[in-house]
Amino acid sequence: MAEQQHTNAHHHGDRHTHISRGTYYRVFVALMVLMVLTVAAWWVEKNLLHIPGWLAVTIAMSIAIAKTVLIVLYFMHVKISSRMTQVYAAGAFVWLIILFVITMGDYVARGWPPQPGPLP
Amino acid sequence: MSTISLPQSSYIRDNSRTFIDWLKSWLLTVDHKRIAILYLLSINFFFLLGGLAATLVRVELITPQGDLMSSDVYNRAFTLHGVIMVFFFLIPSIPAVLGNFLVPLMIGARDLAFPRLNLLSWYLYMIGGIFALIAAVFGGVDTGWTFYTPFTSTYSNSNVVMSITGVFIMGFSSILTGLNFIATIHKMRAPGLTWFRLPLFIWANYATSIIQILATPVLGIALLLVIVERVWGVGIYDPALGGDPLLFQHLFWFYSHPAVYIMILPAMGVISELISTFSRKRIFGYEFIAFSSIAIAILGFLVWGHHMFVSSQSVYAGLIFSFITMLVAIPSAIKVFNWTATLYKGSISYRTPMLYALGFIGLFVIGGLTGIFLGVTAVDLHVTDTYFVVAHFHYVMVGGTIMAYLGGIHFWWPKMTGRMYNEIWGSIAALIIFVGFNMTFFPQFILGYLGMPRRYHVYPPEFQILHVMSTAGASILAIGFIVPLIYLAISLRKGAIAGDNPWGATGLEWKTSSPPPTFNFDKTPIVTEEAYAYPPEAAERDAASWRPGSPL
Repeated sequence: MAEQQHTNAHHHGDRHTHISRGTYYRVFVALMVLMVLTVAAWWVEKNLLHIPGWLAVTIAMSIAIAKTVLIVLYFMHVKISSRMTQVYAAGAFVWLIILFVITMGDYVARGWPPQPGPLP
Repeated sequence: MSTISLPQSSYIRDNSRTFIDWLKSWLLTVDHKRIAILYLLSINFFFLLGGLAATLVRVELITPQGDLMSSDVYNRAFTLHGVIMVFFFLIPSIPAVLGNFLVPLMIGARDLAFPRLNLLSWYLYMIGGIFALIAAVFGGVDTGWTFYTPFTSTYSNSNVVMSITGVFIMGFSSILTGLNFIATIHKMRAPGLTWFRLPLFIWANYATSIIQILATPVLGIALLLVIVERVWGVGIYDPALGGDPLLFQHLFWFYSHPAVYIMILPAMGVISELISTFSRKRIFGYEFIAFSSIAIAILGFLVWGHHMFVSSQSVYAGLIFSFITMLVAIPSAIKVFNWTATLYKGSISYRTPMLYALGFIGLFVIGGLTGIFLGVTAVDLHVTDTYFVVAHFHYVMVGGTIMAYLGGIHFWWPKMTGRMYNEIWGSIAALIIFVGFNMTFFPQFILGYLGMPRRYHVYPPEFQILHVMSTAGASILAIGFIVPLIYLAISLRKGAIAGDNPWGATGLEWKTSSPPPTFNFDKTPIVTEEAYAYPPEAAERDAASWRPGSPL
């Protein structure tokens, strides 16, 4: 089935419509490595080093963003999609930024609680 | 073209021999018109159910004492009303019924881009609805349709998880419909049908679809997190676990404010069609109406915090939200002024759909202007969580969406069924609904301004007169909704044969037979003119040739 789709795509002369199986596996391996990194970062913070909160969050977020980008580009086929689809995908992130920025605007203006985390 | 009998083959007729075959031909159909009919039946069922819950609420409020039901049962009654009406009636009503039926017809396509996905979206709607019904039958839910935390995620002992699951599943139905419309409108327009020749109903549905696919996932995740906190005790909204209850309100209103525009934008699209047709004029300011839909869709995402002015949101955020809220008035007013300008010097005929359209304009203006009261933080502090808010959003959502839904159903009824409804009963019902609606909800503005809080079933005796007026209006409104059910059902057998274009309207949907064949057009139409291409003298000619009893 995959083979057939492959040849069909080539028949239509559309060179951007296929991601090879090898790429899928490589992306999968990359995601697994990132997952291990996530857990490792948590373990290091808990057992070995004292990492300041802002740095720990930055590291965790960077790994999460890297995973998201891989999934969106390869597994969700945005990398090989038409420009219109890419515009829509980018638009969704612009909307996500609206949600984050305005919500965080409220949080910053309200001031952070003196002691974040569960109540004692 | 014959106006004596219905066409030999159409999407309604089929050759199934047995009942099972017939049932399969409907439940497994991928025809957008049949799916629209499935939606029409199921959405109207939920509308009646939501109406029953509203009846319970209004009957309880006749007396100041809580004598018909306990406060707990009352909570469940208004929550049932809210959840059913918002998620299972208002949001899908116009896009899923009229949009499904009309988008391919209006753009000259054979079907939507993804017909199977379309059927899936109906099934998801039904599954979500069944979850909500089960939750209602097994004790109901007492949180209000907004599912505010920390009540939902901690204290409430009603069927929160079941209800939320229903809404979560229904959300996917909404997303799939939006996705389908966007792909269809981009890819499947007939030759010559450029963006600025599209009917304004298509523009409105396009703007709605953008909201559906960008906002609904946020609601889904926000509600899923309520379940995660409630079932597994993960701290997201509960301060005792390190969460923040206000986060839920941010996420919830990020969807639920744009959701108001999911309800009203397609309604505005319907009104543009009706006003133009029954004034015999091309629409005034086509581009302005088209772009104001897009502007509303975008601005709608930036104003959610006006639902949170008193929720301990920071005052700075409140001020910004208040300011942006005022901006929404601009595109809304552009539409109203353009419709009014279209009426000017038109040859106006007061057919049933037009009565609904004119009713829409009046009610939407009242609903919209009271929205400005609520957008001003100083006034909002006074009327937050009072009946003023209840009256405001019913004017926008019921006065807006339901008027347009009914107007649209009447306008396209001959196209859907091939038969005309009874015009006299149609006009009477439209007037009953208009009167009943105002009598129900106008007293609620006064009640709210005097301080009657929403969601209370016991109130001081001095409010009784206004509550009784409101309940009396609701009974009139109920009659107004039942009458069309009767004459529309009768018209299916006895209505006069409509012919292809009973209204003399423009638009591709009127160029095919009524009811249309399965694939809509025998030959792909080629579009060479703009939408609403009534010649400049059409209104004058129409007025000059008018005689009593003429169809228009």
